[in-house]
Amino acid sequence: MSENAIVVCTWSTGRDGLPEGVEEILHIGRSMASALDTDLAWLVLGPLPESASELAGKYGVGQLQHAADPNLDPAGSDACVEAIAAYWETHSPATLIVHQTNEARVVAPRVAGRLGKAVVMNGISVETVASNYQITASAYGGDTRAIYEVSSGSILSFIANAVVPEPAEGAPVAPEALSLDLSGVDERIQVVEQASFDGPRLDDAEIIVSGGRGLGGADNYKLIEQLAAALGGLPGASRPIVDEGWVDSSHQVGLTGRITRPNLYIAVGISGASQHMAGCSAAGTIVAINRDADAAIFQHARYGIQGDALEILPELIRAANAR
Amino acid sequence: MKITVCVKEVMDPDAVNNYAVAGRLEIGPDGKTLTQTAIPRLMNGYDEQAIEAALQLRDAGADFTLTVVSAGPEPEKMLKHAAALGAQEIVSIPIDPGQIDYHGVATLLSAQVEKAGGADIILCGRQASDDDQGVVPALVAERLGMPVVTLARALELSGDKLRVTRVTAEGDEVVEVACPAVVTISNEIGDPRYPSASAKVKARRVKPTVTTPADLGLGDAELQPRVMLTKQFVPEVQGNCEFIQGEPSEVADQLIERLKADSIL
Ligand SMILES: Cc1cc2nc3c(=O)[nH]c(=O)nc-3n(C[C@H](O)[C@H](O)[C@H](O)COP(=O)(O)OP(=O)(O)OC[C@H]3O[C@@H](n4cnc5c(N)ncnc54)[C@H](O)[C@@H]3O)c2cc1C
Ligand SMILES: Nc1ncnc2c1ncn2[C@@H]1O[C@H](COP(=O)(O)O)[C@@H](O)[C@H]1O
Repeated sequence: MSENAIVVCTWSTGRDGLPEGVEEILHIGRSMASALDTDLAWLVLGPLPESASELAGKYGVGQLQHAADPNLDPAGSDACVEAIAAYWETHSPATLIVHQTNEARVVAPRVAGRLGKAVVMNGISVETVASNYQITASAYGGDTRAIYEVSSGSILSFIANAVVPEPAEGAPVAPEALSLDLSGVDERIQVVEQASFDGPRLDDAEIIVSGGRGLGGADNYKLIEQLAAALGGLPGASRPIVDEGWVDSSHQVGLTGRITRPNLYIAVGISGASQHMAGCSAAGTIVAINRDADAAIFQHARYGIQGDALEILPELIRAANAR
Repeated sequence: MKITVCVKEVMDPDAVNNYAVAGRLEIGPDGKTLTQTAIPRLMNGYDEQAIEAALQLRDAGADFTLTVVSAGPEPEKMLKHAAALGAQEIVSIPIDPGQIDYHGVATLLSAQVEKAGGADIILCGRQASDDDQGVVPALVAERLGMPVVTLARALELSGDKLRVTRVTAEGDEVVEVACPAVVTISNEIGDPRYPSASAKVKARRVKPTVTTPADLGLGDAELQPRVMLTKQFVPEVQGNCEFIQGEPSEVADQLIERLKADSIL
């Protein structure tokens, strides 16, 4: 049994059959394991993704540990917490790392609470200092970075969009079955209506055109939708126009909305507050359209257009359609 | 029924943002604390919305006493705002935030709830806008053996069952949970209401109950931090924006050309 390993933990798979952000956290796990000269394990709770063995090989995973259990398919939060707690008892990992999904935002601190372990969310990068870890995390919506120090045996959650995974050659790793006793689990939270959105998601979009309060009114949001359509992208939004009800919250980009990583992000009538940038700063190229030449968004943009969105958008839609 | 709302005082995030954009956000000599004394302190936005969520339950006919609790250096003024909004009891737990971590805060909050004889519903914000960690509610839930439902945009109470509409990446999800439970509130719950002028005047006279860690039987050993903030800094944004100028039709054509030339389109 491998004690003191760096353990990447995933449950539930995304649309491409892999857990969201898994390559990014495997990448982080690999560098931690090599800095500490210890093993990297990947703990999969619930159904094993088809390409797990292959992926494990590409990131230097030593053990691909797989816990199958009816309670983990689909994995409720009580089952996940119970499973990780049981795993901890027998494996005592050096650290457990997760990708920061909404589910991870529940499971990671609950495990920490149950086991009395340190937990740090919003991780961007991590360094090992003797047997401790220093995690650089985003704070104040992105206005600052906080460096937290925790000891070995902690739970760390990373925001994947800052990481560029680098797979390498490696032989596939055979999964090893783990049996964790989940017989006592009785999920306390019952889903009575499932979320049902299955259209294209901002998270996966290559091109996003987002509108903000500078659009001036709900009716003008259609210009954002038209430009997005003309460019083959998706429309996004800042939080205030979601709060105002101009558009529904699945469009919100930012710290508390979608964290995106498109090739092209066009921000229209958006001031560029840190909490908005937290959801788009990893974009390949940012274009900003804003009336105010001093708007913060221009500090992040590659190309800027200073002017009235309502005059520029129709022209951009025309030019995009004609391209 | 008893509902407890946990509220945290934070620096006004918009003001922090404005200082950051102007390049004037400063970290103090300890290398980890924001120094701008001019930045107003206020109730974390989501926590104000957690109070709003309780008031919405009351509007819908639920009968409960509302307690608002805060652990912080001087939360009294903020707690009076909570009293003006309709909290029957306000509780202040004085702490030095530099000496305590999230586990410590959660330990204090859950001990306070236990001391008060428990709570049927504990409402928190989805995250505090200063540290953005969003871990205290789950830590409180684990300590008290309660489930935690996150990201609520609407609550409905029938008997001891709570129906929660959650904001997820895939759209809204509706879940049910039996009380007691911890629920975190997201901004989709709606704008918090303002207290009436007369309620504000009345609230001025309300004295918070002050409970020290010692009153809760907690000392350094129980509140020992596991997560230490060692440093804080303001990240640099490189900024190489090229402005495209001209008439709207010209800038539009130019931008599309540039993006094509850069192989982005
Ligand atoms: C804890 C927390 C979490 C948050 N999470 C998010 C989040 O996830 N996503 C998010 O977006 N925000 C979030 N916010 C809010 C964020 O701080 C900002 O308030 C918000 O992003 C501002 O939105 P905006 O840029 O649309 O509006 P504003 O800041 O009002 O900016 C409008 C901009 O439009 C420009 N403008 C006005 N008229 C025109 C015109 N005719 N043509 C062109 N430009 C024009 C103005 O110059 C201005 O720059 C969060 C805040 C907090 C405290
Ligand atoms: N010091 C505190 N006092 C009272 N409630 C708190 C405190 N810190 C955090 N909370 C609650 O926990 C939520 C999440 O905070 P955090 O985990 O710090 O991001 C907040 O929105 C509050 O509801």
